[in-house]
Amino acid sequence: MRMLSLFVVFASMAFGQVKDADWLTYGKNLSGWRYSELDQIKTTNVKSLALEWVFQTNILGKQETTPLVKGNVMYVTGPENSAFALDLTTGRQIWKYSKNMPPGVNACCGLVNRGFAMQGDVLFKVNIESTLVALDSKTGSVIWESTIDDYKKGYTATVAPIVVKDKVIIGIAGAEFGTRCFIDAYDVKTGKRVWRFWTVPGPGEFGGESWPKDGKAYERGGGSTWVTGTYDPELNLIYWGTGNPGPDMNGDVRPGDNLFTCSIVALDADTGQRKWHFQFTPHDVHDWDATEDPVLLDIDQNGKKVKAVVMANRNGFYYALDRATGKLLTGKPYTEVSWAKGLDANGRPILVPGQDPTPTGNKACPGGGGGHNWQPTAYSPQTNLYYFSSTDGCHTYYMTNQEYLEGQWYQASTFTGEGLFPKGSIVAVNPATGDVQWRWKMVSPPSGGMLATAGGLVFSGDSFGYFFALDAKTGKPLWNKQLGGTVINAPMTWARAGRQFVTVAAGGAFFTFALPK
Amino acid sequence: MHSKVLLFALTLPALLSAQNRIVGNAAEAEAGRGLFRIVCAPCHGIQAKGGRGPDLTTGVFNSGNRDEDLFRVISQGVSGTEMPGYGVRFGTDNIWRFVAYLRSATNRRAVASVGNATAGEKLFWSKGACGQCHRVGQRGGPMGPDLTRAGRKRSYEYLRAALTDPNAELTTGYYKITVVTRDGKTISGVQKGFDNFSAQLMTVDGVIHSFLRENVQSCEREYVSLMPSYKSWSETELNDIVAFLVTLRGDL
Repeated sequence: MRMLSLFVVFASMAFGQVKDADWLTYGKNLSGWRYSELDQIKTTNVKSLALEWVFQTNILGKQETTPLVKGNVMYVTGPENSAFALDLTTGRQIWKYSKNMPPGVNACCGLVNRGFAMQGDVLFKVNIESTLVALDSKTGSVIWESTIDDYKKGYTATVAPIVVKDKVIIGIAGAEFGTRCFIDAYDVKTGKRVWRFWTVPGPGEFGGESWPKDGKAYERGGGSTWVTGTYDPELNLIYWGTGNPGPDMNGDVRPGDNLFTCSIVALDADTGQRKWHFQFTPHDVHDWDATEDPVLLDIDQNGKKVKAVVMANRNGFYYALDRATGKLLTGKPYTEVSWAKGLDANGRPILVPGQDPTPTGNKACPGGGGGHNWQPTAYSPQTNLYYFSSTDGCHTYYMTNQEYLEGQWYQASTFTGEGLFPKGSIVAVNPATGDVQWRWKMVSPPSGGMLATAGGLVFSGDSFGYFFALDAKTGKPLWNKQLGGTVINAPMTWARAGRQFVTVAAGGAFFTFALPK
Repeated sequence: MHSKVLLFALTLPALLSAQNRIVGNAAEAEAGRGLFRIVCAPCHGIQAKGGRGPDLTTGVFNSGNRDEDLFRVISQGVSGTEMPGYGVRFGTDNIWRFVAYLRSATNRRAVASVGNATAGEKLFWSKGACGQCHRVGQRGGPMGPDLTRAGRKRSYEYLRAALTDPNAELTTGYYKITVVTRDGKTISGVQKGFDNFSAQLMTVDGVIHSFLRENVQSCEREYVSLMPSYKSWSETELNDIVAFLVTLRGDL
């Protein structure tokens, strides 16, 4: 008896008290933290991480999904309208969902999917041809499927939905194809659309004056919403980032600020009504989508706690906004920024002339794709740091006149970099001040998202196929493993039977690691 | 696969009328330029003068010089290469717009080779010692880019400039890696791999080395070619070498 209790004490010392832990929504919580309280895997033992299982999807293409874990099952979506339920113990497939894509789907950036949302036993995912489907989590069977919009117009769906009360909230992609984008809410039971918020207002609507009066510029105005938003239940507001105006790099056809592109919009969760908006890049011509994670956290402002929404924007600035009002709290560059001298009191950029795309090209920093792109970010309340990846460099931006053709690529030019090695970093920022606490430099642009844990770790992966862990306090690399395929999504973590596991996708496979038994 | 379906679905007269309407029309060529910059520039360069993909401004194309050849290649891609097909994504008219742009961009005549290819071949294998690093057919070394198809892949100007200024535009991946080991030894070679945790390089003796960053003092990459400059050579010698290189069309 005494021996046994000694053993129990010893075992719990070795492994800590690890309770079962799920992962139920894209950003771990609806604030988008991607932070886990699990601390069995920590700075002092992460070097011992070992492979538990691998699941091969046998689908080429980029794995951008964040797996969900519930019960004894992991739920992942894959590219090309695929999805899988996996046994947590072995990684073996329980069921597979697949749907043929119609021919002629035009996606800018791969036939990707960023994951499931879940409520009870029902899973929700989008399909690339702009549909939303509800699946029975036990079998993968379709409960309902609703058309979001017409893919022939250039719309595609890649986002991971979120569930807010009795609604599934989704965004849409297609701003490179001259579409007018939106955020939608669908009834979880029926799949019927409950509300739609157009991210590009029409004539006469609020913000409509920021587009040319006549013509069809607003109908091709972009403002895509391809990365998952967040939700504050106290304010009952949904926060969602919006993408570039269309066409990306020729602003001449769309004079004005082009609301609500390159913005965060705060919407009433029940009605979809706009409560406020904040536009980071008015009249964007560099393809600086504001579709990065809008993360909800409380920050100290002159000794007072303020409910904030923060974003590491593609335009090179980190922003913290008051999430009740949309007013700027702080804004600071986290990478080289040449196009703006800084921000005015309201957060509007103070422009530097000569940085816009022209037929012969103009250099601007950050480069195409921005500093931080869409890859998931993480906030650790343990270190009070906000973690994200950044591509650090500049590009030459070109503009060309381009005729609009329905459903066709409508970017009106491009950017190039010549003779330089593009570089990147993982950045830890103090969310209240925007000051960079540490920066881990990478030899090429980053590819993976972030996971922060109470073990004092930040997990991520890179384009070369490494899965790695950094010290959350210092950015020092503590462990890495080559997985043979690019890591694009963010790793995630969960626990069962007293053990903590970390799962990451690389190439076409999912890998799960844990400390050896 | 899809592009073939598309092509069969179109009648020949419809194809020809689109061709006649678009190729040679300046406005259509301009529209094509816009598309080119987005889709093709990453490999073929913003001016179409080549990079990872071949130079498209010489008027000589690897897979045929007729408009129809260009249309076919852009629509269907080239199997066994990195060139994908764009027929499904862009449709017939846009493919002709690419062709229209390429025709407008290839108006300049390819520079005529003024050297003596036979003399150049001799210089290549003897005085130049080019074969120490470069392979042509079954002969030569492994360290530099394979030149077996250099005359197809690269323009005359590119090859001429590379001889006197090897750093002007490097072939992707052929960068210089320098590692300093913990015991102070310096090892330089051409990049085989370079990432956040390791580096692999080939030294001039053809040996591949691998290093973990955590085990070495430093590990740097430079946008520098390991090839020596031949700018001390006479015009005649340089012209002869290039004359030889442009004859290399992949015939082993």
